[in-house]
Amino acid sequence: MNRPSEFSSIEHSQLIELQDRLREAEETLDAIRNGEVDALVVGGPSGQQVYTLENADRPYRVLIEQMQEGAVTLSEDGVMLYCNQRFAALVGADRQTLIGESIERFLAGEEIFAFRRLMTLDRGFGRSAELSLLASNGLVVPVNMSIADLEVDEQMPKVLCGVITDLTRSRERSHELAAANLRLAREIDERRRVEDSLQLALDAAEMGHWDLDLLNNTLTRSTRHDQIFGQVNGVKGWGLLTMLSQFVPDDRNAVNEEFLRAESSGSVEFERRIHRLNDGAVRWVQVKGRTFYLNDKAIRISGVVSDVTERRQVEEQLRQSQKMEAIGKLTGGIAHDFNNLLMVIGGSLDMLDQRVAKNEKITRYLTAARHGVERGATLNQQLLAFSRRQDLRAETICIDDLINTFANLLDRAVGEAVTVKIEAAPELWYCRTDAHQLETAILNLAINARDAMPQGGTLTLKTTIRMLDVQAATANGASAGDYVAVSVADTGVGMTPDVIERVFEPFFTTKEVGKGTGLGLSQVYGFARQSGGFVSIESCPGIGTTVSIHLPRATSLEATEVVADTPVEVRGKGIVLVVEDDSDVRAVASSLLEDLGYSVLEAETGSEAMKLMDRGERIDLVFTDVIMPGEMNGIDLVRAMKIKHAGIPVLLTSGYTAQRIAMAEMAEGLQLLRKPYTQVDLSLAVRSVMKDQA
Amino acid sequence: MTDHNDSDLPEGQYKLRLFITGSTPRSTRAIENMRRICAENLEGRYDLEVVDVYQDPEATKDLQIIATPTLVKILPEPLRRIIGDLSDRERVLAGLDIAPLGKGDHE
Ligand SMILES: Nc1ncnc2c1ncn2[C@@H]1O[C@H](COP(=O)(O)OP(=O)(O)O)[C@@H](O)[C@H]1O
Ligand SMILES: [Mg+2]
Repeated sequence: MNRPSEFSSIEHSQLIELQDRLREAEETLDAIRNGEVDALVVGGPSGQQVYTLENADRPYRVLIEQMQEGAVTLSEDGVMLYCNQRFAALVGADRQTLIGESIERFLAGEEIFAFRRLMTLDRGFGRSAELSLLASNGLVVPVNMSIADLEVDEQMPKVLCGVITDLTRSRERSHELAAANLRLAREIDERRRVEDSLQLALDAAEMGHWDLDLLNNTLTRSTRHDQIFGQVNGVKGWGLLTMLSQFVPDDRNAVNEEFLRAESSGSVEFERRIHRLNDGAVRWVQVKGRTFYLNDKAIRISGVVSDVTERRQVEEQLRQSQKMEAIGKLTGGIAHDFNNLLMVIGGSLDMLDQRVAKNEKITRYLTAARHGVERGATLNQQLLAFSRRQDLRAETICIDDLINTFANLLDRAVGEAVTVKIEAAPELWYCRTDAHQLETAILNLAINARDAMPQGGTLTLKTTIRMLDVQAATANGASAGDYVAVSVADTGVGMTPDVIERVFEPFFTTKEVGKGTGLGLSQVYGFARQSGGFVSIESCPGIGTTVSIHLPRATSLEATEVVADTPVEVRGKGIVLVVEDDSDVRAVASSLLEDLGYSVLEAETGSEAMKLMDRGERIDLVFTDVIMPGEMNGIDLVRAMKIKHAGIPVLLTSGYTAQRIAMAEMAEGLQLLRKPYTQVDLSLAVRSVMKDQA
Repeated sequence: MTDHNDSDLPEGQYKLRLFITGSTPRSTRAIENMRRICAENLEGRYDLEVVDVYQDPEATKDLQIIATPTLVKILPEPLRRIIGDLSDRERVLAGLDIAPLGKGDHE
């Protein structure tokens, strides 16, 4: 009864909905009936099951057939139920002959056990092993076999599926890889060897290595590097700033700029001073390096460092001695001319002395003038001593004996305000040197000491032995060996380093005009060098100075020459040929000789003299200067005479004696008169040469 | 069904789900057809999921799928199932409640 109302209550839209669902159900049934579906899905107690119709799994079959791995399904005991084409190709057999066969047919010996282990192994989801398959053609194929249990249905017998991958290619590749690895290992070895020998070389060169990483500002250093900087227990984490702080404050900016510049210039090289950490010593280091770039950006600077302090000292020494050498040459030249002037003045004075009627005044003037010449000659001797053109009369002397003989003189020289202490050596030491020059040198040092102690003080004179090894000797420009050091120490004002640097230069003085000549230490220097020794100075402003003359120690004692008595002039007779290029000097020499009773012939050059002799003039003595301009100097003249006029005696004269060696080659007995000479010196020399000849 | 008006397109997103069985030819065809229909008629306003019942059999349960391929229109309502490889374009469009775009009422 309610039915019509119920029915009418179904709305139109609901009706359409029901219609649609009905049609949908019909369509589904039609589709299934017509085979337009692939699979049916059936619900069950164990979830939804998919039942495939037709060849729904054909694509999988194709996939398995086409794939590059071998695929098999196996029974529990290894019988092949299915295999794909690839597997057949792998073992080199026909597919038809394989199904129903045991796969063990293709496994040799040991491999069968490995395979069985794989089959029975913990029946988990999947497992795999590497095996060797023995193909029908006898080839052994390395493979990876992975096995999984195929769970299809509980009622079905147990089936396993296997995928077999050919490892031949990958084995080849791993062999190639192994070979490449081996090559790499060898290269690394080689590099390590190179690095080792580099390390050795750096060590031998006493060079440290550093590497500045610019990106994170870290500086890696070698052990030697840290030693050079006096960093005993290696501190980690150096940056550029740590490096900069090692340099003395004055040099830091410069070093920083060098490193900045290196980023653009590509290299760095400089020599700067550091404060060595362990002992605070100031050392010179040389830093050299190269910049490395990544995409045009400087990323690191790497290089070496070495301590060059000693090298710089030697260089400084060399520079100093070259300077002294040059000054010496210059001084020698001046002294030569100066001698000639003194000669002229002295000679003229000697002659005036004999020619003028004397009264007291004239005698006083003459004495004063001659005194001036003598002082000039002394100064000139010092110049010559410095330029090492002094004639050294070397003899073996005992230093302490010498010091004792002039201790009195020393006392007088330094005055009363200064106490003189003489410390005798423990033994008697001998040197081969010129005793007079040594005395002069010690006297020069004593006078300097006195001048340094105007308020008085102590002067200590002492002799010691110093043994110098090669390094210490070369640092002083001498050769290794034993030296007797004569040192004069004072408690005076001392010197600053820049004064010490210049004291040996001739005419260098800090004293007032008239008080110092600047030649004292020059004489000391030249004398020591000419004797094969050297001079050292230690001085500290306000505390005092010690100057030491080092002379090579002599081993044997030779007989000391006997000093002659005070000489007087000796007159003589005969014809003397005076050969001299300086006309003033020639005139003076001639006058002096005529005064002594000789007749004189003059020649301006050596060749002119030869001409006179060749002409057959009677000549009893040739008195010639050694140094003359032109093609024939004094020595050449002597050589020429040896051939043609060997009978005529020769007396040489010279302002300096640099030609001593050349003369030594010549016949012995040649005498040399040192300029400037007095009439007495000349008379004695002429007499002795003519007497030898007679 | 209802009127076949050219401009009468339903508003809003389409939420579609296509059930297939692996890569069988019919399933492959169903996927291709579906993509073409969507591109031509639902450009920019559909959301299509493809479910392989091999991989996910349980997914069939909610929507009561009994065979594949089956296309389900989840949104807009009402829910509709269309079975087969979807090669009958008219039938599919009708099922989705869409009039064919720019083409005549009949092919
Ligand atoms: N013992 C010393 N103490 C301090 N200064 C010295 C000493 N010896 C030498 N000097 C310095 O060296 C300079 C050169 O010395 P030297 O060559 O003897 O010339 P002079 O004594 O004529 O100045 C001196 O002017 C002085 O400045
Ligand atoms: Mg002096």
